[in-house]
Amino acid sequence: MCARCPELTRRSLLVGGGVAAASLTTGVAHSRIRPQDMVPLVGPGFQPTDKDEQGLWHEMQRVEEEVADTNLLVQDPEVTNYLRDLIGKVGGPAARDFRIYLLRIPDFNAMMFPTGFAVVFSGLLLRMRNEAQLAGVIAHESGHFLRRHMIRAWRDERRKTDILAIGSMLAGIGGASAGVYLGDYVQLAQLGTILSLFSYSREMEAEADAIGAKNVAAAGYDPMEMSNIWQQLIGEEDAGARYRRKHRRRGSLFDTHPTSDARMADLKADALEMRIPGKIYDDGRERYLATIGPIRQMLLDDQVKLNDPGASEYLIQTLAQDGWNGLLRFYEGEVWRLRNRRGDDVRAEQSYAAAVVYPDAPAEAWRWHGISLMKAGRAAEAKAAFARYLTMKPDAPDAAWVRQMVG
Amino acid sequence: MRKPVLAFGLAASVALSACVQTQQYADVQFTPPQGDYKLLVLRPDVTVSSLTTGGMDEPRADWTEQARAQIIAALKAQQAGRGGNVTIIEHRNALPGVSEQELADVERLNAVVDQSIVIHKYLGDYLPTKRGKGLDWTLGEDAVRLGQKTGYDYALFLHAEDEVASTGRIALGVLGLAGCIVGFCAPNVGGATQLDYASLVDLKTGEVVWFNVVLASSQVPGIKFGELRTPEGATQMVERLLGRMKPGKYAGHVMTPEPQGTR
Repeated sequence: MCARCPELTRRSLLVGGGVAAASLTTGVAHSRIRPQDMVPLVGPGFQPTDKDEQGLWHEMQRVEEEVADTNLLVQDPEVTNYLRDLIGKVGGPAARDFRIYLLRIPDFNAMMFPTGFAVVFSGLLLRMRNEAQLAGVIAHESGHFLRRHMIRAWRDERRKTDILAIGSMLAGIGGASAGVYLGDYVQLAQLGTILSLFSYSREMEAEADAIGAKNVAAAGYDPMEMSNIWQQLIGEEDAGARYRRKHRRRGSLFDTHPTSDARMADLKADALEMRIPGKIYDDGRERYLATIGPIRQMLLDDQVKLNDPGASEYLIQTLAQDGWNGLLRFYEGEVWRLRNRRGDDVRAEQSYAAAVVYPDAPAEAWRWHGISLMKAGRAAEAKAAFARYLTMKPDAPDAAWVRQMVG
Repeated sequence: MRKPVLAFGLAASVALSACVQTQQYADVQFTPPQGDYKLLVLRPDVTVSSLTTGGMDEPRADWTEQARAQIIAALKAQQAGRGGNVTIIEHRNALPGVSEQELADVERLNAVVDQSIVIHKYLGDYLPTKRGKGLDWTLGEDAVRLGQKTGYDYALFLHAEDEVASTGRIALGVLGLAGCIVGFCAPNVGGATQLDYASLVDLKTGEVVWFNVVLASSQVPGIKFGELRTPEGATQMVERLLGRMKPGKYAGHVMTPEPQGTR
């Protein structure tokens, strides 16, 4: 007798068969799609001619109406013009047709809609270290439009569910006339269909990465920056998970996107193919930081309020690799203060003190620095810090209270 | 023995195959508008899709536009017989004195309020705080401002989602029916579903005073209950939705305040 011999039950057969079918037809891993094989499937001024695509566009025009004046829309003209110019550079043949909207959502994401309008979350702008990285994400999203991914995915789903519906019906009828029960196979086919839909979605993401790498390289950016984005994201997710004593999510058969690790590796290989040897690439970091400068404090503020200190700290450390400044030091302090574990108050005070040394320290850094000086009994210095806060932000909501403290 | 059972099953499934449910809710004090009222009807939110063989919704631009036009025509015809002063807005920029943005904001607010009414009153996710209160939802100040700016007494919002079973879906049902011969009887794979709702907002108070839901569906694809893209279907829908407005529970009663104890 062996206690651990697997027993062949209907359930184990189903699960095993499902996994086998899935790995045959889908598989989590895929072979890399080469950038040079990716040609755009739409030209300038594309308009749909098929009924299903027209229906999709009609729906999406209503969605765009809503997106275009949601109150989450960031309307800073400099930033929005900058985004429009960028998509104009890396958008391939449809570059002039794209619309791009920036929404104030502190999350790493961007998306393309079937009619050619893109939505970028503010959390993406916080995470990008230079223009080349942002151009990479925008090129990826444009790739979805250029390869007609939404309508292709829709048609794939329609075809597969049609086949499943007819197949299940025929299995029922065939089974009934032959006197056998084929329900298990129908369930298996259902699972296979679902898995193959997810796999198709992952394949499209890989295509978008490949055509994106091709288009950023054509626009003169270093395609390697696209791979770096994923390296940064993996680090951030690891840091966030470690803080919660968990592990970062790994890929599964039910993912719509390939894993971050796979994307990082494939994009690296793409970049090595697309890079021009010996060329010195300009990553556009100065231009990028200057453009997002006016909204960077808002971006950092939204991030630290997410209550994800592990990820926020990692993010600030990553951004600081390009040099510390008053804004980053202040928000480093905010991460500690809001985390509020033993010793965090001291860490926060040190960060505030470091922040005010920089000329770009935000008004709030002076306020919190003042409070920590006050606690330490250094009243005269505290008053000077508060006075500085009030000159920088005379209309602050707590101005009256601070004035009273200054005395 | 098998045949009668089959025949019974078939009869039952055909009987169940198309059903239309309507459910009205009204504010406890609501009386249907009568006489010389001014009613504003906002752009109907319509989607018509084709139901694919596999059971997915494929939105159709041409059918949606047809249906919207038919619904507006049916509404005009229906309201003409009512005596009220009705304006139907077909575009957000068509209301004098109100910006496109303001009207869009009211429409969006109403869309989420209507959705929560459908979820919490109709689909079974009842809220204990709203029990016995009739219809207790409001659009608040935004709707009152709209009323003040335009002089309308009421605003009516309409939402309609309709499906048309594709040839493939109908064929699948026919195949299921054919299976009855060998004992695998499945004609009821699910046909088209239509979900419509309307809400009436009192622009003096901002409150949603009346709400009606129509859910029509057929289990057997191909059985029809009024497609919105046809004039008959649209007229039927408008009639089902707005035909008989019932007053609220305490309408017409004069509410006497409870005597307050004094100590």
